[in-house]
Amino acid sequence: MKSVSPLDCIIEISEKINIQNPSNEIKINCSNDENSPIIDIEIEKSKINNRIHLTCNEKQDIKATVNLQIYDNATLEFIDEANYEGATEIQMNTIMRPNAVFELYRFNKFNVSTKNSFVHNCDLQSNCIFRDFNFSNGSKEMSNVTKISLNEKNSKYIGSGVVIADSTNCKNQLDISHMSQSAISDCSFKTVSRGKSNVTFKGKVFVDDDCSDTVSSQISKGLVMSDESKINLTPILEINNDDVICSHGAASGKPDDSVLFYLASRGIEKKDAEKLYMQGFLSEFLNKIENVQMQSKARDYINQNC
Amino acid sequence: MLEIKNLDVSVEDKQIIKNLNLKIGPGEVHAIMGPNGSGKSTIAHTLAGKPNYLVEAGNVDFKNEDLIAKDPYERSLLGLFLAFQYPIELPGVTNASYLKQILNAHRKSRGENPIDAGEFLKILKEKSRNLNIPMEMHSRFVNAGFSGGEKKKNEVLQMDLLDPSLIIMDETDSGLDVDALKSTSEAVNKLRDGKRSFLIITHYLRLLEYIEPDYVHVFGDGSIIESGDKSLASRIDNEGYEVK
Repeated sequence: MKSVSPLDCIIEISEKINIQNPSNEIKINCSNDENSPIIDIEIEKSKINNRIHLTCNEKQDIKATVNLQIYDNATLEFIDEANYEGATEIQMNTIMRPNAVFELYRFNKFNVSTKNSFVHNCDLQSNCIFRDFNFSNGSKEMSNVTKISLNEKNSKYIGSGVVIADSTNCKNQLDISHMSQSAISDCSFKTVSRGKSNVTFKGKVFVDDDCSDTVSSQISKGLVMSDESKINLTPILEINNDDVICSHGAASGKPDDSVLFYLASRGIEKKDAEKLYMQGFLSEFLNKIENVQMQSKARDYINQNC
Repeated sequence: MLEIKNLDVSVEDKQIIKNLNLKIGPGEVHAIMGPNGSGKSTIAHTLAGKPNYLVEAGNVDFKNEDLIAKDPYERSLLGLFLAFQYPIELPGVTNASYLKQILNAHRKSRGENPIDAGEFLKILKEKSRNLNIPMEMHSRFVNAGFSGGEKKKNEVLQMDLLDPSLIIMDETDSGLDVDALKSTSEAVNKLRDGKRSFLIITHYLRLLEYIEPDYVHVFGDGSIIESGDKSLASRIDNEGYEVK
C-alpha cells in the first residue's frame, strides 16, 4: 500500500472536516456548514506531485461539495479511499488550467443499506490531462455522474470505471463533451451485477462542429452473474464534425460456460471459478492506470471485492 | 485406474457414445484414433464432466470411485487431467496467477497450505525451463494471444504442475509444428513414470511416434471397433479408417 509522504494532504471527513495540510502548494478553505460543508481547494504549480487523501470512517451521512482548481502546470493526485458507512451526496467541481495534470482515484466501499451519489463536473483547458479511475461496490442506491468538458485544444481525458454490484440499484453516467479541436477521450466501464442488482451505464460522447482532429473511444462491458440481476449499457455518440476518429462498443452477458468448465477441469470449484472469472473480467483495463502503485491498489480492490 | 463399462452418452439429445467399454491400468498408455465425428473428443469431455454431456447408461470407475457422480472440479482433484484441444482464454488473469491458483486448489484438497510465493516461483521456473517456456509468458493473460504451440505447452505445464494420475490428451498434436510436437511429446514422456496413465486421442500416427502407446483403439460410430498394439496405428496411417 502506498505510504503517505510528509507533504501529502489528508482530508478526513468525520463529525467535522479535519485537514492536515503540510503542503505550501495546496490551499484549502473549508466553510464549516455542518449540513453541507464546502471545501475549496487550489493547487499551485509545484516541483513535487501534490497529493490529497480523502478518508472517512464515520457512520454519519455526508453531504459535501468540493471545488477544485488546479492551476497552470500543476499536478494533483487525489485518492479517495473512504469507507462511507452512511449515505453520501458529494459533488465535485473541477477546473483545470492549461497544462494541468489531474489523477483521481476513488476506491470506495459503501454500506449495503445506504444511498450514495457522486457528481463530478470537470472542465479542462488546453493541454490538460485528466485520468479518472473509479472503483466502487456496495450501496443500496448508487449514482455516479461524471461530466467532462474538453474546452480547449489538446486536452485529454482517460477514464475507467469498475462497479461491483450486490443487490444494488446503480446508475452510472458519463458525459464527455469535445468542445475544442484535437482533444482525446478514452473511457471504459466494466461492471459485475450480482444478486438482484440493476446496473445502468449511459455514456455519451458529444463532438461540437468545430472540433476537428478529435479522437474518442468508449467501451462498456457487463457481466450478469445471476438470473435476477440486470445490466443496461447505453453508448451514445453525437458527432458534428467529419474529421474525427470515434469508436464505441457495449456488450453484456453471463459468464462463458466453457471458461468455467476449463477452470473446473483444473480443480477449481464453481464459486472460486466464478470469482476468478469476475476478477479477470474487471481487470482487463487496469493497464490504463500508469501509476504502478495505484494499479496494484486497484487490482487488490477487485480481488478483495469479487 | 479407469474402467468404463457400457457407457452411453448423449449431447443435445443425440447419442454420441454407444456402449463403450475401456479399461486402463496404472502406467498404461492408451491411444484412441478415429475419423472426424466418431466421438473421440466426446469421451474426453464426458470423463472430465463437461455440462450437457449426458450419461444415459453405464458407469465409469476411477480409482475405485464413481467418476460420473462427481463434479468436474472433484474429478480433477481426484487425479484426472484433460489437456484441451482448444485451451480456453482467460483475459485479465495472468498465467502465473492462474497456475498458482490451480496448484493451491489441489494443495487445499490434500490439506496442505497455499504454496509460498518464492517456492512457487522456483517450481514454475524449473518446469517452464523443461518445456522451453519463457517466464515472460506467465505475465501474460491465460492463453490470450498465445500461439498454438504456446497453448499446448501451457497445457503440458499444467499437467506437470498438478501431478495427475490419469492424463487425457485431446488432439494435443493439432496446431503443432514438428519442433513443437517433438518438444511437447518429450515433456509428456518425462511424465511417464510407470504409475501415471494416459489416454491419447488423435487422428494421426505422428504423435504416437513420439509418445509410444501400449494399446491402440480405433473409434467409430461412438464405440471402439478395433483394438491392438502400436502396430495398429501404423496400419491405420497406411490404410486409413475405411479399411479394417
